[in-house]
Amino acid sequence: MGSFFKRKKQDKKKKQQTKDEDFSIQIGKNLDKNMENIKKMLEQPNDLIIRKFSIRNTNHKGAIVCIDGLIDTAEVDNDILLRIQGVTERKELPHNTKQMFEVIYQEMISVSDIQKGKTLDDVTNAILYGSAVFYLDGIDEVLIMDTKGWESRSIEEPITEPVIRGPREGFVENVRTNMVLIRRYIRDPNLRFKTRKVGRRSKKVLVVTYMEGITHPDLLKEINRRLDTIDMDDAPESGFIEQWIEDSFLSPFPQVMNTERPDKVAMGLLEGKVAIILDGTPMVLILPFNIGDALQTPEDYYERWAIGSLLRALRYLAAFIAMFVPALYIALVSFHQGMIPSKLAFSIAATREGVPFPAFVEAMLMAVTMELLREAGARLPRTIGQTIGIVGGLVIGDAAVQAGIVSPVMVIVVALTAIASFSLPAYSVAISFRLIRFGFMIAAAFFGLYGIILAYIMVNIHIVNLKSIGVPYSAPFAPSFFSDWKDLVFRAPIQVLTKRPQYLKPTDQKSGNKGENGS
Amino acid sequence: MKWFEYGNEKISHREILVAIPSMVIAVGVLSLPRDLAAATVGSDGWILLVISGGVIVFITWLMARLATKFPRQSFLTYSSKIVTKPVAVVMTFIFIAIAIALAALEVREISDISKQYLFDRTPVEIISLSFLLVVVYAVSGSRAGIFRLNLMFLPIILIIAIAVFVFNIGWFSLGNLLPVFETDFTGVGRGLTTGLLSYMGFGIILFYTSLVDNPAKVPRSAVIGMCIPVLLYILIFITCIGVFGNSVTSNLIFPTIELAKEVDIPGGFFERFESIFFVIWIMAIFNTTVMAIDVALLALSSIFKNKSKMKIVCVLSPVVYLIAMYPEDLLDVSALGGYLSYFAISYTSIVTILLSVIAKVRKVK
Repeated sequence: MGSFFKRKKQDKKKKQQTKDEDFSIQIGKNLDKNMENIKKMLEQPNDLIIRKFSIRNTNHKGAIVCIDGLIDTAEVDNDILLRIQGVTERKELPHNTKQMFEVIYQEMISVSDIQKGKTLDDVTNAILYGSAVFYLDGIDEVLIMDTKGWESRSIEEPITEPVIRGPREGFVENVRTNMVLIRRYIRDPNLRFKTRKVGRRSKKVLVVTYMEGITHPDLLKEINRRLDTIDMDDAPESGFIEQWIEDSFLSPFPQVMNTERPDKVAMGLLEGKVAIILDGTPMVLILPFNIGDALQTPEDYYERWAIGSLLRALRYLAAFIAMFVPALYIALVSFHQGMIPSKLAFSIAATREGVPFPAFVEAMLMAVTMELLREAGARLPRTIGQTIGIVGGLVIGDAAVQAGIVSPVMVIVVALTAIASFSLPAYSVAISFRLIRFGFMIAAAFFGLYGIILAYIMVNIHIVNLKSIGVPYSAPFAPSFFSDWKDLVFRAPIQVLTKRPQYLKPTDQKSGNKGENGS
Repeated sequence: MKWFEYGNEKISHREILVAIPSMVIAVGVLSLPRDLAAATVGSDGWILLVISGGVIVFITWLMARLATKFPRQSFLTYSSKIVTKPVAVVMTFIFIAIAIALAALEVREISDISKQYLFDRTPVEIISLSFLLVVVYAVSGSRAGIFRLNLMFLPIILIIAIAVFVFNIGWFSLGNLLPVFETDFTGVGRGLTTGLLSYMGFGIILFYTSLVDNPAKVPRSAVIGMCIPVLLYILIFITCIGVFGNSVTSNLIFPTIELAKEVDIPGGFFERFESIFFVIWIMAIFNTTVMAIDVALLALSSIFKNKSKMKIVCVLSPVVYLIAMYPEDLLDVSALGGYLSYFAISYTSIVTILLSVIAKVRKVK
């Protein structure tokens, strides 16, 4: 694993060098030449705005370059163009070009985020990310002004993770907005945002967020090391980042959590975890991740502890139902009929009377149908999606029983399984449970209960050997951290939850609502 | 990736505490009440269990003390210091042989019992093979992973055992426990041996202590860990006698599973609770098998230092399978089990005592 990353890193370094040579054209002193270069570089797209003008009261030529649609036109017009053209200004400008450039930089342009750039690469990257660039004839420097102002989705309630009680805000596609959302939850000077760029072609902004003084430094180092190895053209969604940095790509389990909820991220950060925000997606990654996190929601903490605990226990039950029930049905019906209470056994046998298939085929048939329905429901427009549920669930289910293809008990089993897997809070976890379920069904078809327990043992073997960013996946259970068990299957009252999770080795252990050492 | 040190191969004394009961509790307890009841009168067997348990706990403590004296050293290393290297190698090889035989025995027993209680048409060879493959999967993972598996499975195993006890309280009749203190001396002798033999497997401390980070606490953990199976055995034995009576217990093949058969879950969700019980018990047997093979691996790799783990596993697992398939029928299996446990218990105890004494006399450090 280590050598794999190392090799990638070296590769990347090599490529970086060759690429830098191509793009690091210096900006010249001649304005027209510079404009030619820009046009050549971008091949003159029609949304490229090049506004040439002369500086107020002088013969000096200047130009503003930006891309239409990515900028806030009002800001460029009023705060930059108007000032430099000087309709309202009265002050004399120095005639020396160098000094004039400095005056424009220091005094005239009223944009808060402004930088100097020297290469064509700086310029193209900036204008493609919504900046306006100011050129002055006779100067080999440019001013890069942040004037982002494109259309973006407003903050809405997260669709994939709705809650009954709790904040309704969800992340959006804009990385700045997402950072603001997190800042609003954690008003602590130790909250850190470390920005880096990913993607060789499209340079996406990626922000690593953590709490200084809580997160274990080694954890951060390891995550940064893995992020350094990323070498791809573009990262369209945080899933690309997740798959690049995860520990095992052979595992059916997700090793990184993704969420749309800022409160969930804030909670994770305060536990000592690290979040990764990628520009262009509302899905923020939280890592490390373990089996306990898979079945928790922020709502467990918002509701009172007894209810929170009960719901969590219910979710553990749901996870077991989602994985085992179809397999148990197959095992009981085809191997261990004696284990079913006699009356129930008779009625199952009676309903299976006309069914032509063995239990395994019957279960497979229904389970695959269920997956099809779910997939269809997810892809269709929301209004039709519900119709599919009704048509599929009720009509097909009922008709299949009437036609004697499956038994009614099988329909119950499949429905129960589907409901159980819907009640799992994390979609990526639920999807891997669905995957494992088929494994259990095959094991049950071959060896009955014996097969199920062997498959269960195998899943356990896999989980104990799996790690998420070096932290054991089975962490609070085994290796056992007993003080973390207060917040695992059961959620103790918040007055009792005084410590951050020990398995993350946070540098500041007390979460301190007792106030001694708290942050 | 050397960080978050608890994720690495090092284990803590707490894991030793869990490993010992996981190792000791296996198929033996399923038939233990039969042999013990046959040798004794009434419910006297539990006294013998306590006495033999005490002896075993003492030897465990001795063993842990011995291994703790040489922190982070493999059994081969410290036994070569105490006796000479060739003797140490021979001793290690005998331990390896015991571990392999034990693993084979567990594999075979699990197949036989599955055949009896779960399905009757599937051949033993296939049942054993599938079990062994899962074991091999576990062994080829990390060693810390095996200890984590113990941590995850042991609570489930103890809960199901206690559930069997609780659900049987209704059938319990105190009259079955009588008479007390009526067993004659031959019975006591036979019972004591049976009791001692049922604790086979605690020899792992000699090998696993080398992995423990803070060995000073190992003796205490080992003793506590060893007390768990002793208490569990006593509980199961008394329940068996209380429910079936002495004469019935001594005639059942697997009294503990029959005990589970008596369980009647209120509400009638499941019938034949013994299938559930046995299926859960597979986890206990699995833990024992995995650790037996892993100890053999650990010992082998201390002798053959430059052979990779996977190579040794590839050689070891067919051997285990062949030995497991060798006995013809149940009688052969139980005979093999008898010889093995006699040999294993006496060998482990003698080696421990000898090494401790020689280490003391020669003042090896």
